[in-house]
Amino acid sequence: MALCASSFPAIINWGAASDPQKSTPFASHFLGGSDLVLQPLKKLNQVKKRPGGAYASLSEGAEYHSQRPATPLLDTINYPIHMKNLSVKELKQLSEELRSDVVFNVSKTGGHLGSSLGVVELTVALHYVFNAPRDKILWDVGHQSYPHKILTGRRHKMHTMRQTNGLAGFTKRSESEYDCFGTGHSSTTISAGLGMAVGRDLKGERNHVVAVIGDGAMTAGQAYEAMNNAGYLDSDMIVILNDNKQVSLPTANLDGPIPPVGALSSALSRLQSNRPLRELREVAKGVTKQIGGPMHELAAKVDEYARGMISGSGSTLFEELGLYYIGPVDGHNIDDLVSILKEVKITKTTGPVLIHVVTEKGRGYPYAERAADKYHGVVKFDPATGKQFKGNSATQSYTTYFAEALIAEAEADKNIVAIHAAMGGGTGLNLFLRRFPQRCFDVGIAEQHAVTFAAGLACEGLKPFCAIYSSFMQRAYDQVVHDVDLQKLPVRFAMDRAGLVGADGPTHCGAFDVTFMACLPNMVVMAPSDEAELFHMVATAAAIDDRPSCFRYPRGNGIGVQLPPGKKGVPLEVGKGRVLIEGERVALLGYGSAVQSCLAAASLLESHGLRLTVADARFCKPLDHALIRKLAKSHEVLITVEEGSIGGFGSHVAQFLALDGLLDGKVKWRPLVLPDRYIDHGSPVDQLAEAGLTPSHIAATVFNVLEQKREALEVMSSRN
Amino acid sequence: MRCSYGLTAIPGTDARFFSPETSFLQLRRTFQPTRIKFGSFKIKAKIDEARKEMSFYELLGISERGTSLEIKQAYKQLARKYHPDVSPPDRVEEYTERFIRVQEAYETLSDPRRRALYDKDLALGIHLAFSARRRYQYDEDLEDRSEWKNRWQSQLSELKRRSRNRDAGGNMSWGARMRRQREELSKEL
Repeated sequence: MALCASSFPAIINWGAASDPQKSTPFASHFLGGSDLVLQPLKKLNQVKKRPGGAYASLSEGAEYHSQRPATPLLDTINYPIHMKNLSVKELKQLSEELRSDVVFNVSKTGGHLGSSLGVVELTVALHYVFNAPRDKILWDVGHQSYPHKILTGRRHKMHTMRQTNGLAGFTKRSESEYDCFGTGHSSTTISAGLGMAVGRDLKGERNHVVAVIGDGAMTAGQAYEAMNNAGYLDSDMIVILNDNKQVSLPTANLDGPIPPVGALSSALSRLQSNRPLRELREVAKGVTKQIGGPMHELAAKVDEYARGMISGSGSTLFEELGLYYIGPVDGHNIDDLVSILKEVKITKTTGPVLIHVVTEKGRGYPYAERAADKYHGVVKFDPATGKQFKGNSATQSYTTYFAEALIAEAEADKNIVAIHAAMGGGTGLNLFLRRFPQRCFDVGIAEQHAVTFAAGLACEGLKPFCAIYSSFMQRAYDQVVHDVDLQKLPVRFAMDRAGLVGADGPTHCGAFDVTFMACLPNMVVMAPSDEAELFHMVATAAAIDDRPSCFRYPRGNGIGVQLPPGKKGVPLEVGKGRVLIEGERVALLGYGSAVQSCLAAASLLESHGLRLTVADARFCKPLDHALIRKLAKSHEVLITVEEGSIGGFGSHVAQFLALDGLLDGKVKWRPLVLPDRYIDHGSPVDQLAEAGLTPSHIAATVFNVLEQKREALEVMSSRN
Repeated sequence: MRCSYGLTAIPGTDARFFSPETSFLQLRRTFQPTRIKFGSFKIKAKIDEARKEMSFYELLGISERGTSLEIKQAYKQLARKYHPDVSPPDRVEEYTERFIRVQEAYETLSDPRRRALYDKDLALGIHLAFSARRRYQYDEDLEDRSEWKNRWQSQLSELKRRSRNRDAGGNMSWGARMRRQREELSKEL
C-alpha cells in the first residue's frame, strides 16, 4: 500500500494545511483527514524512491514540521473499538501516524516524549487485541500513556496536556473510563492489576487484566511483592515487562548514557542476548513427546528444567515467582505483538503470564533516539530540529543550588555521601556524581532501601544525604520512622519538590512532608525561604551529627538573592528563626517558600497603610519559642503560612501557643495551609490560586481577621 | 581481511561476533560473498557512500587510540564551535550538519561497547554513521529477532499445553478454585 511503504510522515509539505493551533479540535481533524487521503497518493509516490526506503521510522533528516502531520487513518479512530477491523498492515500505518501525532502534540505542550514513543506499537497492539474498558489495561507510572490517551477518545484534548483543567500527564480514573488505575509513582500496576483480577474472579466475570510495567519500575520491591502474590494466587492476568534498558532518570548523566543500575538489568540483558541452543531444546521436546500422554507432570518438569537451563537465568526468576515467562519479544513489531497477545488471550486458564517486550525509548524520532536522555521529559520544542524552547532565567533551580551546596560541603568533609533513588537529574545529584563518583549512590527505584541504606551508612560514621522527592518520601515512611528516627541516626533528608509542583499534579505533589516529618520525636525539620538559606541549611544539616534532620525546598528557580561566598553555607543556629520586616498589629510567620508570598502580601498591604511584621520561622522542629512568644505578645494577629497540609508547621505553632498559655490572651491566630483536597495539575500560579495561598489571599485573610471585609474583597478582586 | 572476520575473538564485544558455537556456523559465515551478513543492496549502497566520508576519529581530530578524556574534550570543543546557536548565520546548515555528526561520533566513541564495534568496522575499512549502523545492526538484530520468534513461539505452545491441565482436580491454588467455581456456575445456567 503506497501510504505505508514510503517514509512517513515524509517530506510532504502541506501548504494548504489548516492552522493547527487554532483549529477547533475534533471536527477539523476529521475533515482534514478525509480530503487529505485523496491528495497524498500522488505526493507520496514521488518520494517513494528513497534509498533504504523501507525503514520508514528511521528518518534521517528533519522531516517533522510544526504543522499538524497528516494522519488519515488515525483520524478515523476515536476509540479502540474503531480499530477492530484494521489489518495488521493498517495497524502499522496507524502506529506511524500515532507516533507523529505524539511528537506533534508533545512539541506543543511539553511532557514525556521518549517513553511514549517507545510504546506506540505496544499500545496499538493492546487496544487492538483487548477490549478496553471492559478489559483492564494498566500503565505503570503513566508517563507513557500519551498514545493510549490519543486512542481512547482524548485526542482532541491533547493540546491541553498537563495544563490547568486539561489532560493529566499520567493515567487518572476520573478522566476517562479507559484509565482504570491512577498512576504516577512507579511499580504499582502489578499489585493493582492483581487486585482487579481477583475482584473479577470473585464476581465470576471473564475480562482480561493487563499491567504494563517498565524495567525501571521493576527494580522496586513492590513489583516483586505483587508478582509473588500473583504466582501464589494463580489468578489469570498478563504482565507486560517493557524493557528498554533505562532504569534511572534522566536516562543519562551529564556525560553520557548511564548503564542501567542493578543486577536485574544485567539479568534482563542476558535474557535478551541469550542464544539458546535450540538443539538441546529440541531434544527436551523430543523427550517430552516420548514420555507421552499420562505423564504430564514429569514431562512438565523436564521441559521446565530444559527451559531453566537454556533460557537464561532471568526467566527462571519470574518462573520461580510463579509467572509464566514469554519472550523476549520485539516491541516494535506489531505482527509479533498482535499474535502473541491474541494467543495468550484465547488461552484459558493461563494463570499469571509475563511477556517480556523489548523496546527502544524515543523510537521513531531521530533526535530522541540520539539524545543521551532519550527526550524523557521535554518542554515545548521544534519538531523539525528537536530543539527545546527552554526559557532564560536569571537564577537557577533550587535543585541545582542544592547540588552545588552539597558539593561544597563534601569538598570540606570527606564523610559526606549522597543517595538517590533513580532520580539523578531530578535531584541534581548527577552534578554530585560527576564531582565525587565514588560517593554518590543510585539505588534504583527503591526509596525504602535508600533510607535504610543511608541508615547503615550513618552507623559507620558517614554523613549520608538522602535526596528523595517529598512525595516519594511517602514510600519510605516506615524506614524513616523505624530505621532512622527511632535509633536517632544522623541521616539527612533533602526533600525536593515540596509543596505544589505544577504540571505533574497531585501524584507528585509534596504536601505532606512537614506533617509526617515534624511529628517524629528526634527529627530536626527546617525549610529555606530562598536559595541562600538553602545553602545554609545544607551546611546546618551536615553539622547536625547526633540526630536525623530534613529540609524541604520547592520546585522552581531561586528568587535572586546573593549566594554565600564560595557557594558554601554557614550552619544556622538550630531552632532560631528570623524577622524580616518589623511592623505592628499583624504578624505573618511563614515557613519555607511561603515566606516569599508573605513578603509580597506585606507590600500589597503597605498601600493600605498597614505595616506588617514578616518573620521566617526556618525551623518547624524545634520551633523558635522565643520568636513566637514575642510575636504573639506584641501583635493582635498572628498568621502562620506554609505550603503544606494540615498538621504541619501551623499545627505545631498552635500546639505551642496553647501549651504556653498564649491562646488565653488577646492574640488571634489563624493558619494558612493547603486545603483539604488534592490540587489538580496546572501552572504553578493557577495551583497556588486554587490552593488559596497567593499573596492576595494572605492579604485578604489579614483584612478578614481585622474585620475589614470590604478591603478583603477589594484585594481579592483586584488580583490578576 | 576476509578470513579474519568472524574467526577472531574480539574481547569485550557482543557475543554475536564471537561465536562459541559449532564449526558449522563459522563455516557458514566464511561462505558469504560479502563477508558480512548483508541481505540487501541498500546497505551496500550506504556503505559505499559512507566509505568516502571521514571516520569518527578524524572528525573529532584525535588519534584512534584516544582516551575517553580526549574524546570528551574534543567533542566539547567542536560542539561549542558548531552548535546552531553560535554558528555564523550564513553557514548554519553546514554547521548544524557537522554538529550532528560530531554528536554521533561522540556517542559512539564514548560508549565502550559501541566504540569496540566501531573500531572493528573501521579495521575492515567501513565507516558507518550511527543510523546506518543501526540499520546494519537491524539486520543483525533480525537474526536475533528470528531466534526470539522461535523461542516465544515455543513458549506459547508450552503455555497452551500447560493450560489444558492447569485446573485439574489436584490444583488447589486460589485462582484454580475460583475458575472451577465459575465454570460450574456457568454450566448450571
